Amino acid sequence: MSLVSLRLVVATILAAIGAAAFVIGLDYDFGSATRMGPGYFPLVLSGLLTVLALAEAVSAVLKPDPDDSPTLDWRPLVAILGAVGGFAVAISLFGLVPAFFVVILFSTLSERGYGWLPATVLSLVTCFAAWLLFSRLLGITLPLFRWGL
Amino acid sequence: MLENMALGFATAFTATNLFYCFLGVFLGTFIGVLPGLGSLAAISMLLPLTFYLEPTTALIMLGGIYYGGEYGGSIASILLNLPGTPSHAVTCLDGNPLAKQGRAGVALFITAIASFVGGTVGIVALMGFGPAIARIGLSFGPGDYFALMLLGLVAAVTVGGGSVIKGLIMVVLGLLLGTVGTDVTSGEFRYTFDFLELRDGVSLVAMAMGLFGVAEVISSVRGSSERKITQRVTLRSMVPTRADMRRTLKPMARGSSIGGFLGALPGTGVVISAFLAYATEIRVAKDKSRFGKGAIEGIAAPESANNAAAQTAFIPTLTIGIPGSATMSIMLGALMIHGISPGPLLVSDHPTVFWGLIASFWIGNIFLLILNVPLIGMWVRVLQFPYKFIYPVVIALICIGVFSMRTSVFDVWLVVIFGALGYLLQRVGYSPAPLILGFVLGPMLEENLRRAMLMARGDPYRLVADPLTGTILAISGLLVLWAVLGGVRRWFGARRLAKYSVDEA
Repeated sequence: MSLVSLRLVVATILAAIGAAAFVIGLDYDFGSATRMGPGYFPLVLSGLLTVLALAEAVSAVLKPDPDDSPTLDWRPLVAILGAVGGFAVAISLFGLVPAFFVVILFSTLSERGYGWLPATVLSLVTCFAAWLLFSRLLGITLPLFRWGL
Repeated sequence: MLENMALGFATAFTATNLFYCFLGVFLGTFIGVLPGLGSLAAISMLLPLTFYLEPTTALIMLGGIYYGGEYGGSIASILLNLPGTPSHAVTCLDGNPLAKQGRAGVALFITAIASFVGGTVGIVALMGFGPAIARIGLSFGPGDYFALMLLGLVAAVTVGGGSVIKGLIMVVLGLLLGTVGTDVTSGEFRYTFDFLELRDGVSLVAMAMGLFGVAEVISSVRGSSERKITQRVTLRSMVPTRADMRRTLKPMARGSSIGGFLGALPGTGVVISAFLAYATEIRVAKDKSRFGKGAIEGIAAPESANNAAAQTAFIPTLTIGIPGSATMSIMLGALMIHGISPGPLLVSDHPTVFWGLIASFWIGNIFLLILNVPLIGMWVRVLQFPYKFIYPVVIALICIGVFSMRTSVFDVWLVVIFGALGYLLQRVGYSPAPLILGFVLGPMLEENLRRAMLMARGDPYRLVADPLTGTILAISGLLVLWAVLGGVRRWFGARRLAKYSVDEA
């Protein structure tokens, strides 16, 4: 087992989120217990989050899980997140139908040996279905094709 | 009561509402059947579709999606031993052994019947207690609301089993995410990082889709090609034997009561009801060794329990405005998007919404029965369809759903962030459900605390001195204490015990 477990990494990320929120929250007016300012709740919560996450981090170091520590499946993680991100980029640049093509094609990369043919066929079929659904049936006003911002 | 129900049925029996009820049940079951996606994912995926509908119709459809999704999850659990949601982990215990014995049809039939019975009991409880609880809710002050929400959050992390500290971290993170946006009292922007889109807060749908939809798909891709259903489920194979029927009657009654009661409590909900109903059956059974090897009671009790709980969960959500589970908090969000604020006044101000929704539950449960007994073969075929063609389309639907909600590319990027976060959290055993609950309750919790403290002039003792507020806070305190003590005991020794504790699915 590696020295730094995934559990420790996640706990540290959460503690960092808490700490960052705390620092930013210092800028908001704290107020008093009677009249709580906009900073009261965020400061208490981010402080609490930091403490809890640190405790979890300590526990991850002192008392690691007896089983194998979990790992990440990088391939589907990157492919699926890339697909969603690709959709975001494509829809603002090229419109709805190309965005569908991108999201399907990228998603299929999450498995080894998916094959180009099924991936392309699935993308095209989905694009056609999307075009049919949105332009013919729902009459939505989103641009189906476009070029540039 | 009778005239209220008449009003309800008059609302639910219009052609439009019947159609959308059916559509909701159908789509909900469809998505629930898909591995890894539960009713929560189903609701968040289809929420944008309901924006174009009347509020009552939209809610009826969402309700249908909800219990359709719950039922669809059971089908996948029994046939594939693959629980879509934690509440179905219990169904797997005896459902899958039954399927392996070639009795999948019977298991599915009993599930359908038990779900219907449980749902019916839950609806009756909702009709009977809903208005009464709304009347009590009218007298609640901000302190009471604060205490109740806190109790719900505490119960969600302490009662469910699993790591308490991880649950607490999720709740607090959810509450913190709930503070993003414009502060109601002062108008100040908090954690918006100069993004215009964040001024209204983080999009609930984008968050739920990332945490539940995308994260689930990422983790279910692996090994999906090995899942196979060899069994054919025919109508004939669904007919239970006389002994099966006799064995399921009492478990259904027990399960429905357990679920109906627990579902109405804040923070407990369907998962715990299912586990408790199962545990109860083992306790009362004469021959305990049959459980886990295909005991029909092991399906009937938890399935009736989680469906009863699914219905009574609407009691606190609709009548007090405090959702008990992540799914209910999405329903609450949907209500508010449609301009209806849930709470004690909902029953009196919007009787058509309240009673129409309840009446639609009856109809929806009958649709569910119709869809699932004669049409079971269709769902089996959905399950047999190669997963590799399904998940890319699911991801595409998530994208277009989130995007079309506010025509916002920003929200799609949020899905990326929450998808990554959700996957990370899930890999190391955090459950994202308390996060969603905290997120939805956060702003209400803060507002009520502020008002309560203003009324108590900043003195926390005054808050606690109120009998109702004090009692509820004390219960929350005891729950935390109990959980912490349990944690401490586990820390010192007894590693053995950890093996037996129920892991969250």
